[in-house]
Amino acid sequence: MLDVRAGDVGKLELLFDRHHRALFRYFLHLTSNRAVSEDLVQEVFFRILKYRHTYQPGTRFYPWMFQVGRNVYMDRAGRHKAEVAMPERGWDVRSTDMPPDRQAQSRQEAALLRRALAAMPAEKREVIVMSRFLDLKYEEIASILKCEVGAVKVRVYRAMRELSDRFFALCGEQAS
Amino acid sequence: MNCERIREQIPECLAGRLGDAARERLVAHLETCPACRAELAELNAVWRGMASLPEPEPDPAMRTRFLEVLEAYQAGRTSGLGMQVGNPPRGWWPARPVWQPVLALALLLLGVFLGRYVAQPRGADPDIARLQGQVEGLRQLVTLSLLQEQSPSSRLRGVTYSYQMAQPDTQVEQALLYAVDHDSSVNVRLSAVDALEKYAADARIRRALADAVAVQDSPLVQIALVDLLVQLNDKEAAPALRRLAQDAQADAQVRQHAAWAIQRMEVSQ
Repeated sequence: MLDVRAGDVGKLELLFDRHHRALFRYFLHLTSNRAVSEDLVQEVFFRILKYRHTYQPGTRFYPWMFQVGRNVYMDRAGRHKAEVAMPERGWDVRSTDMPPDRQAQSRQEAALLRRALAAMPAEKREVIVMSRFLDLKYEEIASILKCEVGAVKVRVYRAMRELSDRFFALCGEQAS
Repeated sequence: MNCERIREQIPECLAGRLGDAARERLVAHLETCPACRAELAELNAVWRGMASLPEPEPDPAMRTRFLEVLEAYQAGRTSGLGMQVGNPPRGWWPARPVWQPVLALALLLLGVFLGRYVAQPRGADPDIARLQGQVEGLRQLVTLSLLQEQSPSSRLRGVTYSYQMAQPDTQVEQALLYAVDHDSSVNVRLSAVDALEKYAADARIRRALADAVAVQDSPLVQIALVDLLVQLNDKEAAPALRRLAQDAQADAQVRQHAAWAIQRMEVSQ
């Protein structure tokens, strides 16, 4: 990123190749819409290009990228308040070497978990995604969300608690 | 340590990020507290379950679109916008300072000689002028059609393409002003603000830019507009900036930035 900041903007291609998938998944968890998520990724990298001088040398690019990503998402969410995130079809469970019956059960559980996650309030879903899927440290999440590390700890726990309640409630509905 | 504090550490423990001392305290507590053990088991099931969620791949075309935008941006930077400043031409230009004035003088004399004895005065060639007009018309057409595309990436290319127009063009400036006020993509709006700098000698454009500050819903675009107005040192924009600095509905950073802009303009008076 230092090279990009110094004007060698072609190097942004490397950063795109390295990180666009993680960014895409972050947006997909927030919007549940592939096309919108792809559009948001484009916007993030364009904004990085345009505001490359605001990157602080010596800091990690990865959390900074999510900081930019969050701003892009908030801008969009502000303009599309009426849009409700609806989970898209087509996410399937990762293939494993499990026996077929166990695979079917696992697929069902994954579908319920995904429904539970999609039904969470956006701000709670976001902290789970950041801590579980994006491999961000609590300090980095705190800098992205502009809050204290202690607050992140509490938010992640409460979000996990709620996700767990929603998931087991769905399992109960399924069983009855 | 009470149960609530312990439970707040469970996700961090599941992620493998809890420090040794904190983990030992957690384990010691779990040995004596069945309720927290049950909590750990439940959250662990959900945490592990998330590992089986799929990791969808983005469409490979996304990369192609990004590279197009990057190329268009690079082309825009190098097409004479004055963004590359200062580096002397390399290769034929002597590295040693002592030879530089000598070469400069030689080039000056050569220029005077060629101008006086070689170049013949002549009127503008009508064919060349017509051709230049056609190229300019084509650029205008491409810019306007790209600015009306559905995809934000294409509209960005349209804005970038507008840089290549040698002469200000009313239709293009109107399309760029429309993009600043109405485009759904913040990036397109930001780029259009930058592109309009070229047209800002016209007082109507400066007034439209000042008016656009108030109607923007994006703080980033508002800040970019304020920066441009400061750069243009447009005194007529001061009332609009004052209103923005006092607008309680506006973003706090934008208000601060507008106040800073007013001060800056007053200092430069």
